[in-house]
Amino acid sequence: MSAAAPGRMLRSVAVPLLLIAIWYAWTTAHPTVRTPTPPKVVNAAIEMIASGDLPYGVLQSLGRVFGGFAVAALIGVPLGLAMGTVRAVERNVDPLVESFRPIAAIAILPLAILWLGTGTSAAVMIVAYAAFFPIVVNTVAGVKRVDATLLRAAATMGIDRLTVMRTVIVPGALPSIGVGLRIALGVAWTAIIAAELAVGAKAGGGGSGGVGQMMFVFYAYSIELNRIVVCMIAVGVVAFLLDRVLRVVLRRLMPWTH
Amino acid sequence: MRGLAGAGVYFRTMAVFAVVWWLLSMWKSNTALLPSPVAVVGAIWELAVDLELFKHAAISLARMIGSLALAIALAVPLGILMGLSRIADDLVDPLVEILRPISGIAWIPLALFMFGIGNALPVFIMTYAAFFPIVLGTISGVRGVDRRLVDAARTMGVPSRTIVTTVIMPAAAPALLVAIRLGVASAWTAVVAAELIGAPSGLGYAIEWYRELLMTPQVMAFIAMIGVLGFLFDASLRWLSRRLTPWAPQAVSR
Repeated sequence: MSAAAPGRMLRSVAVPLLLIAIWYAWTTAHPTVRTPTPPKVVNAAIEMIASGDLPYGVLQSLGRVFGGFAVAALIGVPLGLAMGTVRAVERNVDPLVESFRPIAAIAILPLAILWLGTGTSAAVMIVAYAAFFPIVVNTVAGVKRVDATLLRAAATMGIDRLTVMRTVIVPGALPSIGVGLRIALGVAWTAIIAAELAVGAKAGGGGSGGVGQMMFVFYAYSIELNRIVVCMIAVGVVAFLLDRVLRVVLRRLMPWTH
Repeated sequence: MRGLAGAGVYFRTMAVFAVVWWLLSMWKSNTALLPSPVAVVGAIWELAVDLELFKHAAISLARMIGSLALAIALAVPLGILMGLSRIADDLVDPLVEILRPISGIAWIPLALFMFGIGNALPVFIMTYAAFFPIVLGTISGVRGVDRRLVDAARTMGVPSRTIVTTVIMPAAAPALLVAIRLGVASAWTAVVAAELIGAPSGLGYAIEWYRELLMTPQVMAFIAMIGVLGFLFDASLRWLSRRLTPWAPQAVSR
């Protein structure tokens, strides 16, 4: 990091800068009205941020993600704890989890639209469904990884099950639950973009909002590729920040795992 | 022994689920909103006899296999290079980290302009979605190779190319297969979204087609098909990794 830092810094920006330069050169050599160019994209970004459209869309999508994520965590973590600790629960519930896990969240979007309409609740349902599986699976795995010696020690001392759950199992499983939550948040963000896009595509831009919906409107109605690129960058930035923030939060909550 | 008992529990659970579903559908009594399990099984049967179910499944599967092959062909050599060479890693890693958070699905509107509606769009989206897990898994697999094996080969004067094929590739194979499984899962999620919006055929398209007709039993039949194929894909990759790399621990994360 110290001695070779300037060289590495240079190398790390070389390829992205080169690609942007090629993009710029190519679009100035072959100018068309709609092809996005770096300056146009920057202008579009400034306009969209200044007008408040982009921040508003991002916040709308984020709100749905947090709503669905909270539902998934509230169901997934307790269910995972129950499945991990009680053998009978696991044996009977696992077939359901394993049967639905391979069904992508987007596949049930048509059902969600049918049941809940094209508004926020359908999007939240998709997010909750997508986030549920990583949370359950990792919670179960975390409970199973709890040191058996600790459990036996607690049992020897005659501690009741609830206290064992609170003081031994949950702290022991937390790192794995944290991993599950991180995966789930990433999946949830992907799912909300897909859900908003598809709702936009299939409900004829029914004004339910969000970044995904904005992208679809720019595609289908106003045909503004620059703005689509801005939305894509925003999607990437938010995904990156979500992961970073959750990582920091988890590290604060359980400093012993790092 | 364990398999039979497991199957028994599996069917018991699914039977309870089917009964609850059936009772709910009786109570709702609206086939468009919540068809009974019987209606869905009937729809599956009809679509299977029609071969329509298999036709769309074959299209989606062909796209899946094509994109997976493309993603492997691009990501594995790149991952090996990045895993071995510090300079290659410094150069390419920032680009990977910039693009990775932009999910394949977010590319759909732009890709619609680039490729139009057809095969190219879903293949592009799925290749993109499968690329990142495979490249990252390959890098960590290559980095995880025991240095002493590489050094030993080098001491014996084995040329670099042979070291890659005979030492690094076999040692990195288990990690690589896990990475491919993750790539498949991510591509299979993307296929539905891509076909739902921008393809004239395939499972995602069929789901949307029947939703517009409000033929919910058919919608559910195709959703089930997506689940079954996703499961079979993963199971066959797990089987393959047991056959190809029997030395690897099988209780891998999922």
